[in-house]
Amino acid sequence: MSSRLRNFFIDNAVVILFVVLIAIAIPVSGLPGTFLMQEILTRLGRNTFLVIALLLPIMAGMGLNFGMVLGAMAGQLGLIFITDWNIVGIPGLLLAMIISLPISVFLGWLCGSIMNLAKGREMVTGFILAFFMNGLYMMVVLYAMGSLIPIMNPELLLSRGYGIRNVVGLDGVRQSLDTLIPLKIAGLNIPVFSFLIIAAVSYFIIWFRKTKIGQDMRAAGQDRAVSGAAGIPVEQTRILAIIISTVLAGIGQIIFLQNLGTINTTSSHEQIGMFSIAALLIGGASVTKASIPNVIVGVILFHLLFLVSPMAGKNLIGSGMLGEYFRQFVSYGVIALALVLYEWKRVTQENDSRATLRGGGAPAAKEAKGGAA
Amino acid sequence: MTSRSLFQRSCVLLGFIALSIYLFYIGKGHSLLIDTNAVTIDGKELRSPETIEVSIDGKPAESMGRAERILVLVGGPKHSITIEVISGDDRKVEKQFTIPTFMDSAIVSVPAILGDAPSESWITTFTAPPVEEAPAEQMQHEQDTPEATAPVSPDATGGQPKP
Repeated sequence: MSSRLRNFFIDNAVVILFVVLIAIAIPVSGLPGTFLMQEILTRLGRNTFLVIALLLPIMAGMGLNFGMVLGAMAGQLGLIFITDWNIVGIPGLLLAMIISLPISVFLGWLCGSIMNLAKGREMVTGFILAFFMNGLYMMVVLYAMGSLIPIMNPELLLSRGYGIRNVVGLDGVRQSLDTLIPLKIAGLNIPVFSFLIIAAVSYFIIWFRKTKIGQDMRAAGQDRAVSGAAGIPVEQTRILAIIISTVLAGIGQIIFLQNLGTINTTSSHEQIGMFSIAALLIGGASVTKASIPNVIVGVILFHLLFLVSPMAGKNLIGSGMLGEYFRQFVSYGVIALALVLYEWKRVTQENDSRATLRGGGAPAAKEAKGGAA
Repeated sequence: MTSRSLFQRSCVLLGFIALSIYLFYIGKGHSLLIDTNAVTIDGKELRSPETIEVSIDGKPAESMGRAERILVLVGGPKHSITIEVISGDDRKVEKQFTIPTFMDSAIVSVPAILGDAPSESWITTFTAPPVEEAPAEQMQHEQDTPEATAPVSPDATGGQPKP
């Protein structure tokens, strides 16, 4: 029993830690419940799609896809173009998604191919690749746009005549998805259409897992060598997982930015990978296992802490900035904690199986036997 | 790649291009200036009533007087305008109109619509007047305002004038 309890706490350490933190921070922050509810509903509609984009690479054994930032860049390029052409409403968002699609596919293919060259170190490869692609993105946005790539709207350009301004307003498409099906319950605005899109992509992920390619991905994620021997094209399957993830990240970034109503041209995409990964890990996912419930729980917990921590910091210490630093600390810290826990669990399991092979039995099994006696 | 898969991929690509063009057409945004200034069409001067209420595409109506302009942002080519005359003969007119795709800003003439003028004369392209640059002397004057040139008080810096 004690072993079960211990395993439960180890498996859900991050979730439990965050529930405790939030339980302490909410009363200290003094924020009203309706405000928190409204904000969580808005942020669920805004961020969930991006977090779902991380699921397939985890299934394919490629860990947390830090390369999703590449998809976010593609989404932003799509939004910059539709703002320049002044395409508004839902058609504008759909056109931005179509524009982002080939860019996301290309970047995903590039990312997947490079990750295949760095098997076992996909996460750090994706992380550094995102930095590298950020440089290229900046070059396109700050130099090519307006000079090589025609931009017709002078309001988008920097005063020097080329390069996109730091902030681009998305007035034409602002909250088009969220307000498409207006619904107000108990004074709370529900972004129904955004939730429907999230439901559809969740269904797609569940359906995809059951397909032949989905099964191949799971097999490749469990053991590359065995999957290759069984005739599964492991490298192609891994590239496909990253391409789908990048495409979903591009669409997710468009959904995210239409809710905010502005693009910060040079920095909107930078934090997306980190925050989405942190949200997924807080939801109880690990580097090797993640599901839709992990996504939903993670987004709720992570953003709840995001909301209450500045006010809690202000009320406790008298400085709102403390909460702001805490937010940063939380997002980086939870990733580190999850990675350490994952590695610790992996080493423990290896030791247990080694002990079993030697005939000594796993410590956990011994404990269970002792408990039964 | 087989010829069949090449054909299928080409069809998907063409489908995306066609969808993009369609989305561009139905989503193109326009700035409409609803205008109640008098217009002369075929030698006949048409004037707007004293007070009207105008609504575009069923949006909340806005009240307008004579010789006024209001800005409405719309998306897509086809729109409806509802004009309710408040003063004089209380009547309500509802008309449909189409804006050319590449016309970013257009003037919609209320007197032309109310005066049963041909539909081609309802919409005209709006060209913004050139922005006049401020004369150099005026800019110099703005820089020399007392606030900009006032010396920093020693009290404001704790008794120590800043270098």
